[in-house]
Order: sequence, then C-alpha cells, then structure tokens
Amino acid sequence: MTTVIPFGPQHPVLPEPVSLKLEIDNDVVVGALPSLGYVHRGLEKFIDTKDYNQTMYICERICGICSALHGITYCMSVEKLFNVEVPERAQYLRVINGELNRLHSHLLWLGLFADGFGFESLFYECWKYREGVLDVLERTTGNRVIHSMSKVGGAAKDLTKEHIDLILKMLDTLEPQVKNIDKVFVNNYTVKKRLVGLGVMSKQLAYEAGTAGPTLRGSGNAIDVRETADWDIYKDLGFKPAVEKDGDCYARTKVRINEIYESIKLIRNAISKLPNGDIAIPIKGFPTGEAIMRTEQPRGEVVYYVKGNGTKNLERLKIRTPTFANIPSLLLMLPGVKLADVPIVVLTIDPCISCTER
Amino acid sequence: MGMLNLVLANVSRKPATRLYPFEIRAPFEEFKGRIVFNPENCILCGICQKKCPPDAITVTKAEKTWELNVFRCIMCTECINGCPKDCITISNERAKTGAKEYIKIVVPKVDTPKATSSK
Repeated sequence: MTTVIPFGPQHPVLPEPVSLKLEIDNDVVVGALPSLGYVHRGLEKFIDTKDYNQTMYICERICGICSALHGITYCMSVEKLFNVEVPERAQYLRVINGELNRLHSHLLWLGLFADGFGFESLFYECWKYREGVLDVLERTTGNRVIHSMSKVGGAAKDLTKEHIDLILKMLDTLEPQVKNIDKVFVNNYTVKKRLVGLGVMSKQLAYEAGTAGPTLRGSGNAIDVRETADWDIYKDLGFKPAVEKDGDCYARTKVRINEIYESIKLIRNAISKLPNGDIAIPIKGFPTGEAIMRTEQPRGEVVYYVKGNGTKNLERLKIRTPTFANIPSLLLMLPGVKLADVPIVVLTIDPCISCTER
Repeated sequence: MGMLNLVLANVSRKPATRLYPFEIRAPFEEFKGRIVFNPENCILCGICQKKCPPDAITVTKAEKTWELNVFRCIMCTECINGCPKDCITISNERAKTGAKEYIKIVVPKVDTPKATSSK
C-alpha cells in the first residue's frame, strides 16, 4: 500500500519552493508529482511596459544566482534581432563576467549541498571561499549579485588594469581553496557513503528526458552549450566540458567541482587574450523579427526567444530555464530512493524555482 | 582527513567574519551606493525619467523639481549615462537603512534648451 507525503514547498533543506507529492511504499519512493507556481511573478508579461533596453534589467532579476548570464543571453538575443556584431572586447568581458558568476554559483551550490546532507562545517567553508568571488564581482561591476555588466550592444563597464590584477589574484587564492574542498567532497568517507549510487540516471535516459547542464554531463553526455552554440568565443578559449560517467549524485557533484576548475581556466585564458578596443556599439531603431539564443548557465542550458514588432517594446519574450528541463529528469531519478535521501536528490539538479516560474 | 586538516587550520586563523555593527568595512570605490543629484546644471530635459527602468525619477517642468524614489531605484546607472549635462553621479557611500523614501530637489536656474539643436 502506498502513502502520499507532501514534500515542500516549505522544507528545511530547500532554499526555494518546489513542491513534490511523493508516493511512498515502505519508506521508498515509488512515484512523484511536482507542482509549480509558488513564486510566479509575471515577468514575461511585465516587459510589455518597458523598452528593449530596460528589459535587460528585468531579465537580470529573474534569478539572483545566475543573473549575469540571464542578462547576457537577453542582450545577445536582441543583438541577433538587430543583426549586429558586438566588439570583440565586449564579448570577452561577457565571458569573464559570466564565468565569475558561474564560480560563485557553483560554490554556493556546493555549500547548500553540504548543508543538505548535514555537513555544516563544509557548508561554511564553501561559502567563505565564495565571498572572495563576490568581493571581486563587487569591485569590478559595483554590485554583488545583480551586476548590470552587459547591455544591448556590448558591455556597460570596462575592466581596468587594476580590476584584471584583482581577478587574477583572486583566482590564484581560490584555486588551492577549491582543491581543499574538492578533497573533502571526493574522498571523504561519509560524503561517499551518502552520495555514491544515489539517484542514478543512465546516459540514454538523461539524453531522452531532455536533461540540461551538470545533471546531463554527470550521466556521461558530453553536451555543453558553451561548446556547441553560437557563442564562438568559447572555442577560441580552449573549452572542454567536464563529464562523469556514473550518473549518480556523487558524479554530479564531481562535475560541478570540475566546472569550477574549468571556469578558472577560462577566465585566465580570456584575460590573457583580452583584446583592446571599443566595449559597445550604438544601437538605433526598433527590433523586428524573431530570434533564439542559447547559453550555458551554471544550472544548464537557457533558451531565450524574443520577438520584436517594430516598436520600442518587445512583442514576446519567452525563456526556457534549465531547472524546467531538469524537473522531468528529477521525477525519473526519484523512484527507488529512500524518503530520507529525497532532499539530496532534489538538490543535485540545483533547482532554481525563481528562474523556472519567473 | 581533508576536512580535519581544514578544521585544524581554521583554529589558528583569524575569523572570516566581522562583528558587523561595530566593525564596518569601508565600501569599495566602485560600489554603487546611492544616486547623487547636482541641480545646478539641470535643464529639466527629462531624459533620466524616460530612461529609468523602474520609473523612480519624476521630473516636473512646471514646478521645476527633480524627484527620486530611493526605494524604487535599482542603481542601474542608466540616468547617469543618459544625462546630457552630467548632473547625476553615483557615490559609493551606502544609503542608511530607513532613509526617507523620496529625495525632492528644486532646480534653481533653468536655461530652457533651444528648439533647434546645433550639430
């Protein structure tokens, strides 16, 4: 006989309100039914009242953690409507800002995840290191989480020589710090005991369920939009996606730790290749037509669809966020998992419900 | 063992946090703290009002006032970039909690811009 237990929307381990109705048989999950819509803010409709330059600030506020990449993706999609190429320096600045954003997002997730399985000292350790990244973001852009670094037509702020030195100095201190927590996450007996073999998703299933981001790469699929999509800069920077084969919670954690190293490498490469020149081009007129842009956020692939109608306001803005793609795969992971392990499996998809419901 | 080493190293380190209300770190030079308006050169053109994404700025030509709703302002600096007379700047000083909601400034002298702009 099965019992239905509500999990969320308020749950001590969840930072955001996702609600799952869990069908439990003898303490083991046999089925799950999600319900979304607790933090819907109507942002896609709200852009009707703002012009296409102002919409960037709304897009940045969709999510507090991956704000930079929401703004950058929106700007790139509108630039596609205008059919303009932004200066190379602006593209490099966007990469640096986006990767710094990914660093702080992954460190935040590692901390929350450690807190999720009860390793509080590791949680504090991760968030202590994240503070260094946030300080650099504050000093280079002026804000901690909502950076407003990008604008339609290029970058809003340039990096000076001192800023670049600051970033490089931070990366030099961050790398050994990440190695410290890497050792704990990968080798610690308790962590392994809790994560290995939990919430397994096969390579084929992950692909077919349309999973995105580290959840997809944790199952052995070497698919990263940074490598495949229209953003050519990443190909010049020697980007390689981090992939693990096992498809369990442990593999997904390792993918995110390896992505931190990859981001550090990318920022260093981008700074060494940073070209001189303009940071923005003026954009005049109103957008017409349709465009789609995809980029890789910390949580996975985000898709922006914009439609202009020749006025200053966009006719339609549609966003497909990575968590929306990962929730179906979460439902496939959960059957067979014990009730006490459900929070950990939910956390490994890095759920961002504010993104998903907008 | 990795965690034990970290914990032992942390014992001898200084705390990573500050005793906030007593020890306040000076804000970074680039920090976007609050909007500062200098009314002397303002021509009441209203570009800042048009550019402001959260509609925080209100410019009234009849009463010659410039008004900023501090609680709505998101520090995007669009008004600063748009201002033709460079009247608006940003300070790195943090706005105090519970500061008043509106900053209303009466613009003293106004030279109305001519209808034909010289190019």
